[in-house]
Amino acid sequence: MDGSPIDNLSKHRLVVVTGKGGVGKTVVAAALARAIAERRKKVLLLEVDPRESVHRLLNVPPSGGGVVDVGAGLCLQNLRPRQALDEMISRQLTVGLVARRVLKSEIYHQLAEGGPGLKELGLLRYAADRSEKRGADRRGPFDTVVLDAPATGHGVSLLAAPRLVSEVVEQGPVGREAARLASFVSDPAKVAVVVVTLAEEMPVQEALELREMLARRLGRQPDLLVVNGLYPPLEGRLAPTGVEGDDIALDLWRRRRSANEAELARLSAAWQGPRVDFPLLAESRGFDLVAALRQRLDGPFYDGGSPDTTRDGAQPKAGWSFS
Amino acid sequence: MIGKHPLVVVVGSGGVGKTTLAASLGLASAAQGLKTLVMTFDPSLRLKDALQVGDEARRRAAPVPQEGPGQLDASLLDARQTFDRLIETYAPDDAARQRILGNRFYQHLSGSLAGILEYMAVERLFEVAQEGAYDQIFLDTPPTRQALDFLEAPARILNFLKSPALPIARREWFDAQGKLKATSGLGLFGRGIEGFLDRMIGVDFLREVSEFFLSFNPLYEGFEERAREVAKLLSSPSTRFLLVSGPGQERIPDALFFARKLREAGHHLDAVVVNRIHPDLGVGATEPKEGVDPQSVAAQEDGRALLRWLGERDRLGVEELTSLLGEYPLIKVPMLGDEPTDLASLKALGTRLAAQLPG
Ligand SMILES: Nc1ncnc2c1ncn2[C@@H]1O[C@H](COP(=O)(O)OP(=O)(O)OP(=O)(O)O)[C@@H](O)[C@H]1O
Ligand SMILES: [Mg+2]
Repeated sequence: MDGSPIDNLSKHRLVVVTGKGGVGKTVVAAALARAIAERRKKVLLLEVDPRESVHRLLNVPPSGGGVVDVGAGLCLQNLRPRQALDEMISRQLTVGLVARRVLKSEIYHQLAEGGPGLKELGLLRYAADRSEKRGADRRGPFDTVVLDAPATGHGVSLLAAPRLVSEVVEQGPVGREAARLASFVSDPAKVAVVVVTLAEEMPVQEALELREMLARRLGRQPDLLVVNGLYPPLEGRLAPTGVEGDDIALDLWRRRRSANEAELARLSAAWQGPRVDFPLLAESRGFDLVAALRQRLDGPFYDGGSPDTTRDGAQPKAGWSFS
Repeated sequence: MIGKHPLVVVVGSGGVGKTTLAASLGLASAAQGLKTLVMTFDPSLRLKDALQVGDEARRRAAPVPQEGPGQLDASLLDARQTFDRLIETYAPDDAARQRILGNRFYQHLSGSLAGILEYMAVERLFEVAQEGAYDQIFLDTPPTRQALDFLEAPARILNFLKSPALPIARREWFDAQGKLKATSGLGLFGRGIEGFLDRMIGVDFLREVSEFFLSFNPLYEGFEERAREVAKLLSSPSTRFLLVSGPGQERIPDALFFARKLREAGHHLDAVVVNRIHPDLGVGATEPKEGVDPQSVAAQEDGRALLRWLGERDRLGVEELTSLLGEYPLIKVPMLGDEPTDLASLKALGTRLAAQLPG
């Protein structure tokens, strides 16, 4: 048996965290990044969201585009995809004047915004470089880059972009770059994929579709499934207390939990790989939430043994291990 | 609101329950004897089951088998299907159709290309509004996080059509021999840029991309007029908007954003619906009744504490929303133990909601 999910993720150069909007990708990415950094690794957490939120989860000032040191081996950066593409292109154009003209031209702008897959190439190249060499800002190389993937479109379009572009563009610097990145992202030793979901119907549906697309388009599986926001298990604890309001709470808790369990059962029927379950927590401060979830990563995880369900339905019993 | 307004648009960020609410309002509307249509995006499997419409609802509006005086039809939209359908309608000939369908970008990206779903929705709305076959239409909007992409689609497309960039994307890049044409009109640096494109990105890439854009030429042409019509329809006083929000405080910025955008665009926002509110259990009421085993109470403490916290979180969120968006009626929908996934529970929800909506 492999080690814990964190042991496994920390062996990768790039960890891509993906899932439907609002399921907790950013919070999970931050918890994973912290846990990996605690394995004595240098970690860069990359956020690609103009609403910049990850700094709040780690109690540091906003990144404003640059790398911010969080301490304990962890850095973060909020990256604009266009910034990464521009960097990639201007590196190829050795003459500064030409580079400036090209980057300012209307046609480059059109291509960068509308040319399918180009921004994604820029992003992946940036992340790969950060794990390979020292940046112009004299930071790195990082042992692992954790990428909180942009929520637009399907998460798989980021990872599938290099192959798509390389199929269409066979030559030239961009074509070669696309081919290099295509083999990078399909290398399970270098790039890990984490799929985050809630145990609710729509997110689970999307997580399963994502998994199928990963297999079909990239010939690979996710390395970890994170099920977030679970109501606590009941396990026969349903004695009414007679306290006012409690009956409503009990009823809601019981029903939401059983909906969660039905979805967990659907997940375990379709996916036998490593899985971590995160509870819904009574934490309103992002920093405390991330710290609490990070703790859970040391707890039990589902390592892909055959799912054994208890009589009442869904809780997988076999295959849970402690790291 | 039911029956009074021919078009009701349900907006809000992804995952807040727009689709369910739109469907349940549709049922309530049909229950009053109207001929009603629900247009929805990415419905969940269970909702599709509940409405008992199959995949044919992707091609045309399909009847929902509900009992009652009126009629409810449902129309399901997804990007790929509507895209295919558009190409079938607009491609000038069979060869062009085959070329578009064979375009690699089309095959892989038509489902995720930014703005496409909104664009398609505008087309579909135009079609339906033109036909005028319904008393009332409930329009669920595509899942976007923080933008009114759908409502902005007509204006954006109009701007795009006028922008100098478009001719570049839609340019005939290649001559009959498949060679890159001289790029006159790109200004002083045209030649250098052409060389750059060729060297860096490769002519093949450009060919596929430009073919992709070009294939929509026939579409762009009528679109300007259609987009203008739709824009007029959306801001007409007989089109009303419902803004759906999640309950927690972290959702407030999204709701404020939507409300502001609607106001700026001159749309008519009728009410804010706060969905999935946890019950407020009061804090500290933990003394169990006499005769209840204290151990069993202690064993449940984590779950009860969580639910109390969720109730408190949502209460604060609703309070804050009320004070920030006080000019609109605020309608509270509780977190239901079971998602409403059959016609009866959807209708019950819709009827309750309809009763609270302003006239
Ligand atoms: N396990 C949890 N318990 C309680 N609250 C949570 C949990 N996970 C996430 N949240 C809360 O849910 C909200 C959404 O989380 P987050 O921003 O991480 O989602 P996301 O998937 O990154 O969203 P987006 O797609 O918008 O980027 C946040 O307010 C976060 O604090
Ligand atoms: Mg996020």
